[in-house]
Amino acid sequence: MIANLIVGGIAAGCLYAMVGIAIVIVLKITDIANFAQGEMAMVTTFFAYWLLDSVGLSWWQAVPIAMLFGLVQGVIIQQVVIRPLIGGPVLSAIIATLGLNIVLNSLAGLIWGHQTYTFPSPFTFSAPFMIGSVPVSVDSVVNIASGLAIVIGMTLFLRFTWAGLGLRAASQNPTVARLMGVSISRSSAIAWGLGGLIGGIAGILVAPSLFLDTNLMASLLIKAFAGGVLGGLNSLFGVFLGCLALGVAENLVGAYLSPSFGEAITFIVIIAVLIVRPEGIFGRVRVRKA
Amino acid sequence: MTVATDIARSDRQGASLGLGAILTALCLALACLAPLGLNGYGLYVLTLTEIFAIVALGLNLLTGYAGQISLCHAAFFGVGAYATAILTQKGGVSFLLSLVIGAVFTAVIGALAAVPAMRLKNLYLAIATLGLGVILQKIIFEWRSLTNGGGGFALPAPNIAGFDLGATGLYYLTLVFLILGLWGAWNVSRGRTGRALLIIKESEVAASSLGIPSARYKIAAFAISAFYAAIAGGLFAYLVRYINPESFNVGLSIAFLSMVVIGGLGTIGGSIVGAVFYVVVPELLRGIKDAPGLVFGLLLVIVMVLMPQGLWGLVRHVARRA
Repeated sequence: MIANLIVGGIAAGCLYAMVGIAIVIVLKITDIANFAQGEMAMVTTFFAYWLLDSVGLSWWQAVPIAMLFGLVQGVIIQQVVIRPLIGGPVLSAIIATLGLNIVLNSLAGLIWGHQTYTFPSPFTFSAPFMIGSVPVSVDSVVNIASGLAIVIGMTLFLRFTWAGLGLRAASQNPTVARLMGVSISRSSAIAWGLGGLIGGIAGILVAPSLFLDTNLMASLLIKAFAGGVLGGLNSLFGVFLGCLALGVAENLVGAYLSPSFGEAITFIVIIAVLIVRPEGIFGRVRVRKA
Repeated sequence: MTVATDIARSDRQGASLGLGAILTALCLALACLAPLGLNGYGLYVLTLTEIFAIVALGLNLLTGYAGQISLCHAAFFGVGAYATAILTQKGGVSFLLSLVIGAVFTAVIGALAAVPAMRLKNLYLAIATLGLGVILQKIIFEWRSLTNGGGGFALPAPNIAGFDLGATGLYYLTLVFLILGLWGAWNVSRGRTGRALLIIKESEVAASSLGIPSARYKIAAFAISAFYAAIAGGLFAYLVRYINPESFNVGLSIAFLSMVVIGGLGTIGGSIVGAVFYVVVPELLRGIKDAPGLVFGLLLVIVMVLMPQGLWGLVRHVARRA
C-alpha cells in the first residue's frame, strides 16, 4: 500500500519535475517566471493529438514532430513577445506571460473547442512491472524514465556543451557573457525553445492519465512552481528532487492524514520548509551585497 | 536610483498639482453622476470595478511600494467577505460595523502572512503566499458549521440603520470607501511609511543601515493591504449576495496582481486604472464573438510590451508633455 503510494507519487512528481525544469531553464536565463509554460505545453499536446487523430501518424512518429513543434513555438514566443521585454521590469514580463497564457488557452479553445478528448498512449494496456511485490504500471515507469532522462540530459547539456556553457554564462552575468561573445538573445531563444520542448513532453505524458482539454496543465503548472521552490531554483537536481518530494508528500498526506486537507497540509509543509531554508532544500544561499 | 529620481521628481510634480486636482474633481463628478445614466447591469459592473480598485490600492502599497509579491489576496478578500456575511447574518451585527470588524480580523491574518516574508523573496514569497491562500480557502471550505462550506452563503440586501440599500445605495457606499481608501493610500505613500517601504523595496540592507526597522514595516504593509482587501471583500459579498469558497481562488489573486502591474506599480492612480482595465475591457469585449479571452490576453501582452511601466506611466507621460 505505502509502496504503491510512494511509486505513484514519484511518477506524478516526475511530471511536475519536467514542467519545473522547463520553468527553471527559462527563469535562470531570462529571470522571467513563465506562467505560459503550462499552456504552451497544452498547445503542443493538442498538436500531437491533431497529428495522431487527423493526420493519422502513429504515436512514435507524432511525438518527435510535436516535440519539434514545442521547440519552435518556444523560440517564436521568445522572439515576438519576450525579446522586447528583456531589460524592463521583471513583473511586467511575468504579467505578459500571463496574458500569453490567456491567449494560448482561448486560441486552443477556438481551434479544438472546450470538450475533452482521450489522448492515446502506447503503454496503457501493457502488463505492470513487478518490483518485489509492488506492481508498477508501465505509464509510471515511462514517466520516471523520461523525468530522469531529462534532468540528466539537461545537466550534461549545460555542463559539457558550448551552447550550455553560454547559457550558464548568460545567466550568471549577462554583461560579462556578452563581452566574451555569448549572444544573450540567442541564449534566451535557446532557453525558451528547450522550455517549450520539455514542457511538451510533460504534456504528452500527462494527457493519457487525465483527459485532454484546454485546462490540462493548469494545476500541473502550480505544482511545478511549488515543487521547484521547495527544492530550490538554483539547480536542476534541486528542482527534480523537490518535485518528487511534493508528489510523494501529496499522495501520503492524502491517504493517511486527511484527504480533504491534503493540498493545504502540503502547502503548510512547503511554507515551514521555506521559513527554515529560504532558498529551498537544495538551494545555495547567494550573498546579496545590494 | 529609482527612489532618488522619484523623490527628486516629486517637487516638479507639485507644479502639475493644479491639473491633477481638476482631473480628480472631474473623475469624482463623473463617478457621482454615473448611476443616472446606467442600467442595473452597468451599475453592477461599475460597483465591481470600485471594489477591485480598493483591493488594488491595498495590493499596490504592498507590491508596488514595499516590493512584496502576494498571491493570497483573493483569500484575504474571501475572509473579509465571509467575516462580514457571518457577522451580519449569524451575529446580528450591523453591516458597517461588521465590515470594519471583519477587516481588522483580516489585517491580523495579513500580519501573520508577513512572517514568511521576513526571509523570503520573489518567487519563493509568491509560492509561500500562494500556499497561504490555498490554506485559508480550504479552512473556509471545511468549516461548514460557520460558512456552509461548498454550498455557499446567500445574503439579503444590505441594510444600514433600518434602510435597505438598493444597488445605487451600495454603489455610493462603495464609492465612499474607495475615496477613503484613496485618501489613506495617498497619506501612507507620501509619508514616512511610504518612503520607508520604497527603500525596503530597493535594498533591505540599505534600509536597515538607515535605521528603518524593515520587519515592522513589512508587517504593517501586509496588514494594511489585507485590511483593504477585506473591506472590498465585505462589499463584494453584499454586491453579489451569494458567496462561495471556490470564487476566492489563486486565479483571482493573480488577477489582482495583474491589475496592479497593468495600472502601474507604485502609483495610486494606476490601481484605479488597472481595475478599470481588468473589469471593463472584458465587458466591452463580450460583444466580439468567440474571442473575448483571445483579445483580452493580446491586449494584456501588448500593454506590457509597449508600456512596461503600466497604463498610468502613459498617463503621466502624456500629462508631462502637456
